[in-house]
Amino acid sequence: MFDFASLWDVIVLLGIALALAPAFGSYLGRVYSNRPVVGDTLLNPIEAFIYRLLGTSPRKSMRPGEYMLALLLVNGAMMAFLFFFFAQQGRLPWDPSGAPDMSWSLALHSSASFTTNTDFTHFTNESQMSFASLSVAWPVALFLSAATGLAVFAAMVRGFVRRDGTLGNFYVDIVRSVTRILLPIATLAAIVMVLLGVPQTYTAIVVAHPLTGGTQTIYLGPVASYQSISLLGTNGGGFYSANMASPLANPSAISDLFATFVMMLIPFSTPFAFGQMIRRRSEAWPYFGTILIVFGIAFALFIAYQAASNPFLASINGLGAQTNGYPVGQETRFGLSDASLFQVVSVYGNVGANNMQIGSLSPVAQLVLLFGMFTQSTPGGEGTGFATLLLFSLLGIFVGGLMVGRTPEYLGKKIQTSQVRWAALAVLIHPATILLPFGVAILGHQVDLVGASAGATAHNFTSVLYEFTSESANNGSALSTAQFNDTTVFFNVTGALIMLVGRFVPIYVMLRVGGLFSEQDPLAPNAGTLRTASATFCLYLTLFLIITTALIFLPVMALGPLGQII
Amino acid sequence: MSAPSAPRPGPRRAPPDAHPFAVHVRATVVLLVLTILLAGFVYPFFVTAVAQAIDPYAADGSLLYYPNGTVAGSALVAQNLSAPYLFWERPSLTDWNTTLGADTPPGPTDPALQALLNETLQYMREDGGFAVNATLPIWWVTPSASDIDPDLVPQAVLVQVPRVANATNLTIPFLQNLVNEHIQQPILPDLGTAYVDVLELDLALLPLIGK
Repeated sequence: MFDFASLWDVIVLLGIALALAPAFGSYLGRVYSNRPVVGDTLLNPIEAFIYRLLGTSPRKSMRPGEYMLALLLVNGAMMAFLFFFFAQQGRLPWDPSGAPDMSWSLALHSSASFTTNTDFTHFTNESQMSFASLSVAWPVALFLSAATGLAVFAAMVRGFVRRDGTLGNFYVDIVRSVTRILLPIATLAAIVMVLLGVPQTYTAIVVAHPLTGGTQTIYLGPVASYQSISLLGTNGGGFYSANMASPLANPSAISDLFATFVMMLIPFSTPFAFGQMIRRRSEAWPYFGTILIVFGIAFALFIAYQAASNPFLASINGLGAQTNGYPVGQETRFGLSDASLFQVVSVYGNVGANNMQIGSLSPVAQLVLLFGMFTQSTPGGEGTGFATLLLFSLLGIFVGGLMVGRTPEYLGKKIQTSQVRWAALAVLIHPATILLPFGVAILGHQVDLVGASAGATAHNFTSVLYEFTSESANNGSALSTAQFNDTTVFFNVTGALIMLVGRFVPIYVMLRVGGLFSEQDPLAPNAGTLRTASATFCLYLTLFLIITTALIFLPVMALGPLGQII
Repeated sequence: MSAPSAPRPGPRRAPPDAHPFAVHVRATVVLLVLTILLAGFVYPFFVTAVAQAIDPYAADGSLLYYPNGTVAGSALVAQNLSAPYLFWERPSLTDWNTTLGADTPPGPTDPALQALLNETLQYMREDGGFAVNATLPIWWVTPSASDIDPDLVPQAVLVQVPRVANATNLTIPFLQNLVNEHIQQPILPDLGTAYVDVLELDLALLPLIGK
């Protein structure tokens, strides 16, 4: 019997994180609207100095094309830096574990993965990443990719309040994302993590002498500082290949809850940053509501199915009664509720960290995680998650407006055919980058799906589907199986392309749509205006999101995760 | 709740000048260099300095030592403890070889999962001194997520007491007492699970059996 009282800790944590969201969201909104915020006296002069070094100024606002150019230059330079770093890591200093240079395709996949905020890994950190790659190169992307997502959000939303066609200054948005949000919070979170038991040292390797003889290598490093920015920035990369399941990265139930809090902080607050930026706070609630409804259903389903025992194991003689959830691929210390909350927040917030083996989950729990990546907006990753929800909302308002005969407009700006075309492209690029490569991989015999039973075959199918979905959504979590080897040149190159397209095409659309709004003068509200700050709109948006997503992905959801039960 | 803002008609501002391309290149290079310095060095160095000052035990990896000062392991990393006189942890698909990272168990409805659990049960029964059809705690015979989970539910540690008593000449009540002393209860009820860090328990056991 499921013990609801044992959920008290996750309910308290959710309560704290959600109660903080409006206040923290308005702080984010103030940062991106350049309104006075705490820390101005200290940081304004530092930022002014950085702008001088960069050769730009906050007064130089960019149109969408220039904003995208700056974004691509910075992200491209970062990806090139990472690519060459990883491809040379064996020859660069700080490689005490003797990690060899990455092959070109692995370096391509890894650099694309980190640049796009995905952090899907095709390598084993301990043997294939040098200490310098882990502690110097990768963290650059942990900061910059998160800042890029936030910048895109800020730029798109500015389209609703400006009327000069500009979206703000990309470099200024990046600098302020780091100085005002990512750096201070990550530093504090890292220190808390150390107090909760996470290592933070520059001793890379300790050789231990186990009780039964032999030796064991214990890999250490600046784990806390890495892990805190990885979670805060919704990157989801792990210092260890076991990610947040590793007891070193996540030593206790409390560190697990704290990590969950860090992951929730920005994605769940972003609707209120939007409300603050457009100066209509009530408009944030429908989005917050939609996120909570979808996330709440997902979490309830996930924990219910993980609490149940696996009927497939009933035939095994001598397996003791199940306590505290299904144990295969789970860590002992977390307990069912804490482990589940972390995993659902991580995938729905597009972080992609894992504190369990996703491949061992019950089929319905796997489906729940896949659904979160299909919507990628409840709440979705840093900045871009909410921007995706806005695109869904524009489509929904357009469709709904046509149905009831109202002018399709939002926040005093007309939704025109051009915006709808762009938004539809962004929404459709997601299934396209999942299903097309999936078909190519299967038809091209790049992976053998046939397992020992129908259930095993469906599991292999799910594994490949999950891989492409995770890459396309820039999520980064993996549902691995022994049979699916994704470290081939084919999966490295395809994966890199999927991640880049899945990241930068929607970003271009978000900027373009923001730019089109920014060129319009605001309209006066009239009798035909759809009231969007309402519970009705929240419910409509929720159903629109769920139905469009389900319609697109129903066949693969049935063949994959659910096929494992049949 | 603020009222919807009224439209503000008026002359459009002139579109701003774009940065020249050379300025973009310069900004990109400077931004990347600054981020490498910050994310790769300043930030982790600062956190390390603070960490080493406030909690050196955790910062250095929660290392556990033998009385002679040699490193036995980390309280946060399971290792091979498969000796008759020691308490055992959960099985590891990587044999506790940290260099291999974590391995993936078979899927939830894959016959290979049944085979794996049957094999583990058989091994635990034979080498653990249980009856051929003994029922064993499920958390003890299933693979973890990290393959280096050092923790075990108390029930699964207590079932091992008779075997350890047999191999060490320590009495069953004494060992039960030792295990109970090592149970780490959640700080508040249901905030995580109660567990025993098996490596710490075994390290406490070693001097008692003269090893």
